[in-house]
Amino acid sequence: MRGATATPRGLGWLLLPAVLVLALFLGAVALLFLHAFWTKDGFSLAYFKQILDRADYHEVFLRTVSIAAIVSLTSALLAYPIAWLLWRLPKWRNLLLVVVLVPWLVSLVVRTYGWLVILGPKGFLNEALRWAGVIQSPLPLIFNDLGVVIGLTHVLMPFSVIATLSVLLQIDNRLEEASESLGAGALETWRRVVLPLSLPGVFTGISITFLTSMGAIVTPILLGGIRQKMAGTQIYQEVVYNFNMSKASAWALCLLILSGLGLVLLRTVEAALVPKADK
Amino acid sequence: MNAPLIKLGRAGSLALLFFLPAPIVVIGATSFAAAGYLRFPPGELSLRWYAEAATDPRWIDSFLTSLGIAAIVAVTVTAIAFAGAYACHRLRPRWLATFELIVMSPLFFPHAALGVALVNVLALSGHLGTASGIVVAHVVCTLPFAWRPIMVALQRIDSEIVEAASLLGADERRIALGIALPLARSGIVTALLFSFIISFDEVTVTMFLTGPQVTTLPVQIYAFIQENASPVLAAISTVTVAVTLLVVMLLERLIGLEFFVAHDPA
Repeated sequence: MRGATATPRGLGWLLLPAVLVLALFLGAVALLFLHAFWTKDGFSLAYFKQILDRADYHEVFLRTVSIAAIVSLTSALLAYPIAWLLWRLPKWRNLLLVVVLVPWLVSLVVRTYGWLVILGPKGFLNEALRWAGVIQSPLPLIFNDLGVVIGLTHVLMPFSVIATLSVLLQIDNRLEEASESLGAGALETWRRVVLPLSLPGVFTGISITFLTSMGAIVTPILLGGIRQKMAGTQIYQEVVYNFNMSKASAWALCLLILSGLGLVLLRTVEAALVPKADK
Repeated sequence: MNAPLIKLGRAGSLALLFFLPAPIVVIGATSFAAAGYLRFPPGELSLRWYAEAATDPRWIDSFLTSLGIAAIVAVTVTAIAFAGAYACHRLRPRWLATFELIVMSPLFFPHAALGVALVNVLALSGHLGTASGIVVAHVVCTLPFAWRPIMVALQRIDSEIVEAASLLGADERRIALGIALPLARSGIVTALLFSFIISFDEVTVTMFLTGPQVTTLPVQIYAFIQENASPVLAAISTVTVAVTLLVVMLLERLIGLEFFVAHDPA
């Protein structure tokens, strides 16, 4: 509708509700800073100092970043073949897309509960393995970092599929045909044509799943147990049980900074790997 | 050609694909097992866990709360997004790119940080632990998801139609409600259903905001898992899966699912 009329008048107020919502969001972020630096005793860096000083807190942040890194990479790796399959089967794409979208949209607390039922000490998998005589005593699949990684990877995989597929769908079919008519096999065509072109989607997926794992609470609490703290679970505990908004806000800011650094690092890697687009 | 290799790749990919709904399927199967857990060979089937859920007011209340909040959020956020996106689309302000970046910015916040930020602001206005507080928070979280499909739909409208209407004397109101609104309906329906389902299933941010008076179904499920791992959870969970499936199927019937994998046209 570009250039439809001269300049439409009186439309500016339509933006007002959206601006109010965004003002609320920005206000909330501003309060995050305020609470983090202003404690009961005025301006203070106490909670940041505490994070820098306490070895157990270093461990929590280190675990958060490592789990987020492992989960986002694993999820990208496992999602790629699924995206490739959906791309390759246009006739079935809509149906298969439902198989991806429904697990993505179902509440993550429900999906996490599913993993409790599957991986628990008396869960489906352990019972099945015992029934088959493979194991005598149940394998410790949850209440440790392994459980958190399995749960989070599964929770985030659908998004990686969607991000990768949306880029695959943009690839011009003729590129593949050209590659094959020049004598490249299917695998070589994939490696030299499809893979480089699909990397931007893979990186979008990794970025978002990294961010989501950094801020995860439910899956780490339910599958990791009480001791395997992540930054999100610590923040939740400070807000809901300790009512310490200053500490929670300081933690949230540190989480934001680490997430931002992660994204910058991902951007740098992407820029080095992905050939410059010449559009 | 590498036919066997491709076949192997497809089989592997298909196996990975069906790994996605696996936990949901296991929960569904458990919910119908009279024993309350899966075993070999499968035991007797029953609806007793559904009956138990249906007679517990906690589940009924939180289910209705979630449905109500999701419906209000969907309508509110879609109206806000349509008004805003329409104005942006018609006025094309110079700061449009910056503004859209701010609209999308909640997406770049880890949920734990978003939760704390929203607690801070809702506590200030005394809306912590209220349904209206949860609605406001969900509107903030879902605005990016409602904005994008509507903006995409608006951009697809043929500018000549608007031009013709304008020449024939249609005023701004008529153009907005008589032309843009019906022609952007695919985006509007997508925004409505998408924000409904995000709000209905949201748990990480919401669990910061619920209180003794009001709780949503996913938060109630979370609390219940921690205190009591009863098979009634499987029945409740299956109900939320059914709601989600219903909305996705509705979206597929009405609009199609291409939106989710469509790239930004901009």
